[in-house]
Amino acid sequence: MSILKRARHGFAAAAFLGAGLALSSPSQALPIDECIAPADPGGGWDFTCRSVGKLLRDLELVDGSVQVTNMPGGVGAVAFANVASERSDDSDLIVATSTVGMTQIAQGQYPGGADTMRWLAMLGTDVGVILVDDESEYQTLDELLDDMINEPDSLAMAGSSGAGGWDHIRALMLAKAAGMPADQISSVKWVQFDGGGPAVTQMMGGHVDVVSTDLGEIAGFIESGDVRVLAVLSEEPLPEPFEDLPTATSQGYDVTGYNWRGFYTGGDVSDDDYNAMVETLQTLYDSDEWKDVAQQNGLVPLWRGGEDFDDFVRQSIENVQEVSREIGVIE
Amino acid sequence: MSETDVQPERISGVVGDRIAGAVLLVLAVAAWSYSFNFTAGFMQPVGPGVFPRLVCVPLGVISLYLILRPGFNQRWPHRAALIRQGCALALLTSYGAFLEPWGFLPASLVTVILLIRLFGARWKPALVCGAVLTVGLYGLFEFALGMPLPNMPGLDW
Amino acid sequence: MDTLAFLAQGFAVAVEPQHLFLALVGCALGTLIGSLPGLGPVNGVALMIPLTFNFGLAPTAALILLVSIYYGCMYGGRISSILLNIPGDEPAMMTTLDGHPMARQGLGGKALGLSGVASFVGATVATIGLTLFAPLLVGVAIQFGPAEYFALFMLAFATIGGVTSGSLSKSFIAACLGLLLGTVGLDSVSSVPRYTFGWFEIYDGIDFIVALVGLFAISECLLFLEDTRHSDKPTLKLGSALPGMRSAWQCRSTITRSSFIGFIAGVLPGAGAALGSFLSYTLEKRWLGRHGKFGQGDPRGVAAPEAGNNAAAGGALIPMLSLGIPGSGTTAILLAMLLSMNITPGPLLFEDQPEMVWGLVAALFIGNVMLLLLNIPLVGLFARVLRAPGWFLMPMVVMVAFVGIYSLSNSAFDLYMMLAFGVLGYILRKLEIPTVPVVLGLLLGGQMEYNLRRAMSISSGDWDILWSSGISVGIYAFAATLIVAGLLFNWLVKQSR
Repeated sequence: MSILKRARHGFAAAAFLGAGLALSSPSQALPIDECIAPADPGGGWDFTCRSVGKLLRDLELVDGSVQVTNMPGGVGAVAFANVASERSDDSDLIVATSTVGMTQIAQGQYPGGADTMRWLAMLGTDVGVILVDDESEYQTLDELLDDMINEPDSLAMAGSSGAGGWDHIRALMLAKAAGMPADQISSVKWVQFDGGGPAVTQMMGGHVDVVSTDLGEIAGFIESGDVRVLAVLSEEPLPEPFEDLPTATSQGYDVTGYNWRGFYTGGDVSDDDYNAMVETLQTLYDSDEWKDVAQQNGLVPLWRGGEDFDDFVRQSIENVQEVSREIGVIE
Repeated sequence: MSETDVQPERISGVVGDRIAGAVLLVLAVAAWSYSFNFTAGFMQPVGPGVFPRLVCVPLGVISLYLILRPGFNQRWPHRAALIRQGCALALLTSYGAFLEPWGFLPASLVTVILLIRLFGARWKPALVCGAVLTVGLYGLFEFALGMPLPNMPGLDW
Repeated sequence: MDTLAFLAQGFAVAVEPQHLFLALVGCALGTLIGSLPGLGPVNGVALMIPLTFNFGLAPTAALILLVSIYYGCMYGGRISSILLNIPGDEPAMMTTLDGHPMARQGLGGKALGLSGVASFVGATVATIGLTLFAPLLVGVAIQFGPAEYFALFMLAFATIGGVTSGSLSKSFIAACLGLLLGTVGLDSVSSVPRYTFGWFEIYDGIDFIVALVGLFAISECLLFLEDTRHSDKPTLKLGSALPGMRSAWQCRSTITRSSFIGFIAGVLPGAGAALGSFLSYTLEKRWLGRHGKFGQGDPRGVAAPEAGNNAAAGGALIPMLSLGIPGSGTTAILLAMLLSMNITPGPLLFEDQPEMVWGLVAALFIGNVMLLLLNIPLVGLFARVLRAPGWFLMPMVVMVAFVGIYSLSNSAFDLYMMLAFGVLGYILRKLEIPTVPVVLGLLLGGQMEYNLRRAMSISSGDWDILWSSGISVGIYAFAATLIVAGLLFNWLVKQSR
């Protein structure tokens, strides 16, 4: 263990020196030249960075190319800690995040709250769906929720987040809207898989009964008819080809559950730089290319930027905290 | 890829295996008891502490067996070898610490040259090969593979 | 017949000169990336995705390039396994067990040639299986629920005694140590940090690539430092690759069995190539029993894991293409690549875009043949590299490992972690505790635990679910048979003395 301890000291020293250097040289102004994906290559955050980075370059909003850095760890906590401690005034850096990261902040899993960072913008959103197998006995959301309330332990629900994570909370919000007493909520079984796709295939194999996840990842299963969508968690019906899927709202349950994709930057970036970055992202959002990329990946383009987005994130964090407390995920 | 001509000598592991067994037994017991700190997850019948405990049981039992019935070890290094290994580890540890503040090229150059010396080469080939290796690696990763390495401070290209 | 017509069309596209050239470049580059310790298919393909955009390659051409790199990496991993005892990536780990002893006996060229042919056969079997049976196998794969996966991992660890020729109890100790290390990090079910002691760097768990490179590359270097008197001599004599081709014919039954096992492991998402090569090796060792000299340079010990891991890599494409589920980190990257090219794998892919699927299959065949042909000149090239003196080769290996690991996460912490694993690996070697089960435990432990906990979530804590299906009972019975047969065999040998 002594080596690791020494390593810690070395690391601290390196970090200290690094910070010193960053302070002594005036921070580079725009344009954006690095995007941190707080996950391994291949996931949603990695995709967000790579596709946005490529578009920034294609649209000539940046000089040269945007470098994508993968910094996995703690569902984004490592990147969050790194930016907060070493690169908080780095105005050419953006970090990918989403509702999942925001939920982590709300539940106190990151080293810091929303104030630690400056929230730039969201560019699009995925939407939650509640699915059963095409041969399932449940034809409507009502039937499912009735059974859930009457025999809560007879159902196994699955999704890609952990117990108390975003996929789980969305499903429980529905159960609550259907009138499930708070003390029964914890008797509905929740099974976590590595993603929406694995959860759906496990449901097709008959190992779980219901899946709550994002639409984008499993759109193919809906188109092929292998699964039946009981509810889409959006305010309005979705655009084509999913216009026929019923929303939860239209069935009398006032529940929405989006999973937006967006970016933050360090908390000490100046107002001028912050505004310029938001403006760059807005130009990107307004382009037809972004609309294409978003649609191909099952995202609905949706813009919230600058102060507007900042308020939205804070408000969302409060909402998630409230729901988490009611359900019992956090104290 | 140790020496091809010398077969590694096997020696009795009475001391080595018993120490290892004791260390692993302590590890198993410590991990077992520490796992009770992992608060049972929200709505999970099997909490985060169960699997570590399931692993600690066989680990502890076999460690005990190792203490009672030690097997064989390979010959442990002599003092000169230990010093060389210690130097290499110290060198590589400081490389990790200096890589970011100094930048890749200077930090690697110093490390590689010293490392080659440590592996028994003379100064002249160490200097030449160290420089070639450093520049080669920089070219390979920075340009051919497109993986950015830390630059020297104040130098940006 | 549709299938074959599409396949023929796919081939027609794949053999265009530009595409053949890209396949050649991809295979060579992939082999290079795969053979560098710490860098594997995940890095290779991830790095190439922006490059294909920059060159503005057409989708088919980009696909051929990326698939060639994917296969090249799988293929390159074994080169450093055999020659340096340092696996380039995790599926190549099992190849060190017999491949490096062969190299120590001056048969490195033979081992490389043999592994080349075995890889080729394994990959070809998998590609044919993919062509003919994809829809059928998908139906089987979804029958595997959490309880069945748990049984599969139990089978893997029950046969772990077969990994090395050394003491059985030491193999199990190593496996338990790996499993325990695998629990370090944020528990993804409940978000509780386990054994992290407040370090954010290990919240995502101990990266097995860091552990792998530390345990093998750094410890090898420490071992070399014990005696530097001979360090100016060339490290190894390599020999020719040609005897390997003949040897492959002698190992044909091993290669066939292992290709089959690897393919099945690959088809099951979540099992992956590492399990494929692992099961191929241990089951083959059990099968041959005392007829083999496994662990001391038995050619079959090289053929089995190589056929197994390449067959698994091919098999893993089935759930990836038809369900959109990546079975391993590598197929996850391929999935991202397809998505970025506007191809959405899923249940409709085979119906909607047959030309793309069979174009991919044709690219796989081409890449395979290309790698087999590249094999012979590459052995010559590596023979030249190995003529370098040890004082140059070992520092080079260490530096490549450092830079490779650093580029993964851009954090110096991983470098210290790698050094710590290097010291651990060195001590374990001196104690004659094998290091391979440590990495396996680290690699498979997470999935093993999560499938156990998923099963328990479904059953509300009733342990009976673990043996309530025919598939899991069958797997346990198979594992029990192997263990009993092994014990009985040992007992008979003792009696006959």
